[in-house]
Amino acid sequence: MSERVKLFIVGLLLSVGLGLAIFCTIQTVQAVQRFQRERQLAMAGDISTLRPWMTLPYISRVYHVPESYLYQWLHISNPQTIRHVSLKALASRFNRPLDALVKEVQTAILSYRKAHPKSSLHPAPTHGPPARRRKA
Amino acid sequence: MNELLLTLLNFLQQYGYPALWVSVFIASFGAPLPIALVLLAAGAFAALGDFNIAALALLSITASVAGDNLGYFVGRRWGSKALLWLAQSKSGQRMLSPARLERSRQYFARRGGWAVFLSRFLVSALGGVINLLAGAELYPYREFLVLDISGEALGAVIPLTLGFVFGASWDAVGDVLGSLSLLILALCIVFISGVWLVRLARRIYAARRAKVDALQSGGQKISVSGALPLDPSVKPQSSGQLPPL
Repeated sequence: MSERVKLFIVGLLLSVGLGLAIFCTIQTVQAVQRFQRERQLAMAGDISTLRPWMTLPYISRVYHVPESYLYQWLHISNPQTIRHVSLKALASRFNRPLDALVKEVQTAILSYRKAHPKSSLHPAPTHGPPARRRKA
Repeated sequence: MNELLLTLLNFLQQYGYPALWVSVFIASFGAPLPIALVLLAAGAFAALGDFNIAALALLSITASVAGDNLGYFVGRRWGSKALLWLAQSKSGQRMLSPARLERSRQYFARRGGWAVFLSRFLVSALGGVINLLAGAELYPYREFLVLDISGEALGAVIPLTLGFVFGASWDAVGDVLGSLSLLILALCIVFISGVWLVRLARRIYAARRAKVDALQSGGQKISVSGALPLDPSVKPQSSGQLPPL
């Protein structure tokens, strides 16, 4: 391979690298902005930050709603069997669309907040079973 | 959020520590699993008391080191034999001659350490391939192990801590980490190709300068004897000027 061809290839690689670097910088800035927005919403306890990977005990602690309240709202009679099950798995277990289940949980949170206006500002009282730490 | 990640998170929430160990082990061996995101999520679960953060860190480091070592030994056991067979076979010699294989082994022994270390946490998608390659290139095991443990410690502690600190926003942190690691990769490409370009340009310049000097000295000798210079485009008296690339 002649030096001129090598020079062309390395120059091309540098141009591609520069293009990629500019693209990735824009992506990173956008991701940071998205993160800041999401963080603010999560800190404020906004229900739009509810995600399919969350379990009911997790939702209870993040959104300051008692676990027992969520179980009652969703008509779950045996909570021990679903404590470590995510909303997505819960939806498929109960043959319900995931979006509908997420909406239902969001409604439950809003309803609890309406009934207990101070609860969103302070940690929730643990009416349900306490958070269980797994044994390593 | 993709289905695979949701399945892994469900697996983690239902089966706890063993699920994390198995997922990290499989990912370290080379399976394309979004394990950094799983670790971020595990850190977020630990922040709410579901897991112990120290136990998570210890488990993920041991699992990833075990997976990496399996990859290394597979590469050493079968990869090196495959390379040797390729270098000795008639058809394979076109691609990889024994001399070239030896050169690549020496190069990997000199520079491979960085690849092993950085692929643990910066470009973890390449980790599995680097393990196989390190084994196949007979990279010294002790050095591999030291670099692997230190890299994997960073690779586990960074996402676990970020997940622990940022809690429910871990998926947004994952997006930032993903684009940041791509940016670092792109900057590495720019840096390396920039260095190559400068070196190549210097080499070409030096070669041309040597050629011109040779022509000048040749031309002067000839012009003393009364003959014309060899290349009419090159002026023997103008030592600072070079022909264009």
